[in-house]
Amino acid sequence: MILRAILILAVMASSFSLVTAQQRMRRAIDETYRLQNEERLLNLEWSQLQLDQTLYGKHSLIDASARQIGMRPVTPDRTQFLSAGPATGATR
Amino acid sequence: MRAGAKGVGFASSPVLAVRLPSGRSRLLLALITLAFAALFGRALFLQGIKTAFLQKQGAQRYERTMVLPAMRGKITDRNGSVVASSLPVKAIWAEDVKADEPKLDQLAQLLAMPASVLRARLADEEGKFVYLKRQMSAEQAASVMALHIAGVHERTEFRRYYPEGETLAHVVGFADVEEIGQEGIERAFNMQLQGHAVRRRVIKDLFGSVVDDDGEQMRAPFDGQSLELSIDSKIQSTVFATLKTAVDQFKAKAGAAVVIDVRTGEVLALANIPTYDPNDRSRLRGEQLRNRVITDQYEPGSIMKPFTIALALNTKRVTPDTPFQTAPGHITIDGKTIGDSHAHGMLTVREIIEKSSNVGTVKVAMPIPPHEMYDFFSSVGFGQVPKIPFPGASAGRVRPWKSWKPIEQATMAYGHGISVSLLQMARAYTVFAREGDIIPLTMMRSDQPAEGTRVISPEVAHQVREMLELASGAGGTAPKAQVVGYRVGGKTGTARKQEGKGYAAGKYISSYVGMAPVSNPRIIIAVMIDEPSGGTYFGGDVAAPAFSQIAGTALRLLNVSPDAPFKASVVTPAPAVEESM
Repeated sequence: MILRAILILAVMASSFSLVTAQQRMRRAIDETYRLQNEERLLNLEWSQLQLDQTLYGKHSLIDASARQIGMRPVTPDRTQFLSAGPATGATR
Repeated sequence: MRAGAKGVGFASSPVLAVRLPSGRSRLLLALITLAFAALFGRALFLQGIKTAFLQKQGAQRYERTMVLPAMRGKITDRNGSVVASSLPVKAIWAEDVKADEPKLDQLAQLLAMPASVLRARLADEEGKFVYLKRQMSAEQAASVMALHIAGVHERTEFRRYYPEGETLAHVVGFADVEEIGQEGIERAFNMQLQGHAVRRRVIKDLFGSVVDDDGEQMRAPFDGQSLELSIDSKIQSTVFATLKTAVDQFKAKAGAAVVIDVRTGEVLALANIPTYDPNDRSRLRGEQLRNRVITDQYEPGSIMKPFTIALALNTKRVTPDTPFQTAPGHITIDGKTIGDSHAHGMLTVREIIEKSSNVGTVKVAMPIPPHEMYDFFSSVGFGQVPKIPFPGASAGRVRPWKSWKPIEQATMAYGHGISVSLLQMARAYTVFAREGDIIPLTMMRSDQPAEGTRVISPEVAHQVREMLELASGAGGTAPKAQVVGYRVGGKTGTARKQEGKGYAAGKYISSYVGMAPVSNPRIIIAVMIDEPSGGTYFGGDVAAPAFSQIAGTALRLLNVSPDAPFKASVVTPAPAVEESM
């Protein structure tokens, strides 16, 4: 009689835990999909920003604007060259 | 059935004691059994035989197929700046649109097409699926969808953007609306760049959230691989701008240039004029698509001479100081005359390169057996398809040595009767820029020093390098190639253009291939200007200044320290020695 009661309780406990586990899994899956979607959107935004970065940081654009305000490319006679350090040997 | 038989109290009523006819109860029993049998049979039928169909039907009512899209890989330059990337756009499609739909005119206006064309297109397909417009921006598509026309739908697709535009068009190439690479790197590496979308069946609840999926396909969609090119956008931009200026200045038909890192074999820049904008390919012509560096082959002319001399030096047939008589400025082989533009008289091997003497080069080349020359040309890559993954890479043309006539060997010695691509030429010069070994080229970023194959001895490489520096010096053919602060060395080429069977009069290809800094070469730059028509056509006047400009900027961007004193480095511009063709 006692054994039977214990077994019945055990079956009930296991079924409750099954139900909650299933519910937890569903929530987790939903969360996964939601986060995956968010990741995708963020990735797209990142791509857009990367494109903008290249577009607005184009060398030709910067060069043109720099010349507009009277800047000039450096020439060797106005440059101090530093060697890489004693470990790699001084460059000629 | 035998109610009351046991005789419990409440059943003692005599009415209940009346016995029913036994047939009735049997009939009832049989009917009930039959009913249960029918139920059991039906259950068996549904569970056993129609189960697949029913499960499918059930699934259709709550399962959804979700497409998890994959992105095509990005292409970046060596500094990580994106040069090709995909972004979502909208495609508008239609199915079963009524012909008398009143909003069709509005729709046509939004799609920027005449209403008659739109009607014709819808009528043509007779209600079948048809794309009305692709690659629309999200805002445009939203205004179309706001019309709420039955049968007009939108779909998300991707569009490739190329922020560097025409500057890098010939390297990156482009992909079509289906995101399949059509040109350049986009085509060569299409497999790696392509992503793999995943279709997944999921179960959604009342609120539209996913509660379960088919666990068998838990793998995520994988996006295409990203590629990191060896190209440096800054150098590329300079090369492109310089080339454009040179082509305009000399009224040339076309131009091409390539910059190579001597240590790694990386292509740092590669530009072509004319070019195109990969973002707007509506008016694209074949001429614009041609990649003159990689796919075109041409007769190189004098830039070939250093190889002939190197072979003679390497086989110890001559030394840099061996004298050759080039007077009277022409030489006749097989009844054909090869000439110099000026008679130079006695020249050492060193001076033959410096002055670019055809006669001298021919005299050096003639004692070399044809097979030896052929093998050497092959070993530096001429006539061989370059091992670079790029669509349509040209092998050039070196005829088999067995059929060489003496006059052919003579002309090949100074770069005629042989075809190469500019890329092959630039690569072959790594033999001189390095210690006599040739390296494979790559379009992908690489931090490893390249593994070379020894072709000539380091001493010969040094000797030729010294001659190349002389050729770009005050007494050479290209003083205009000089760069402030750096020692440079290189060779000019001015080749008559081949047309049909002979050479076209007045049409030239001017080129310059050089390296810098000569003390420890870091880059090789090859410049080619096709058909300069402004009256100036010598390689030293047309291509060498472009080299100078590119080299100065590229060396600065690469942080290469100068190897020449600044003040004394610029030689007073002496008139260039006209080279021979």
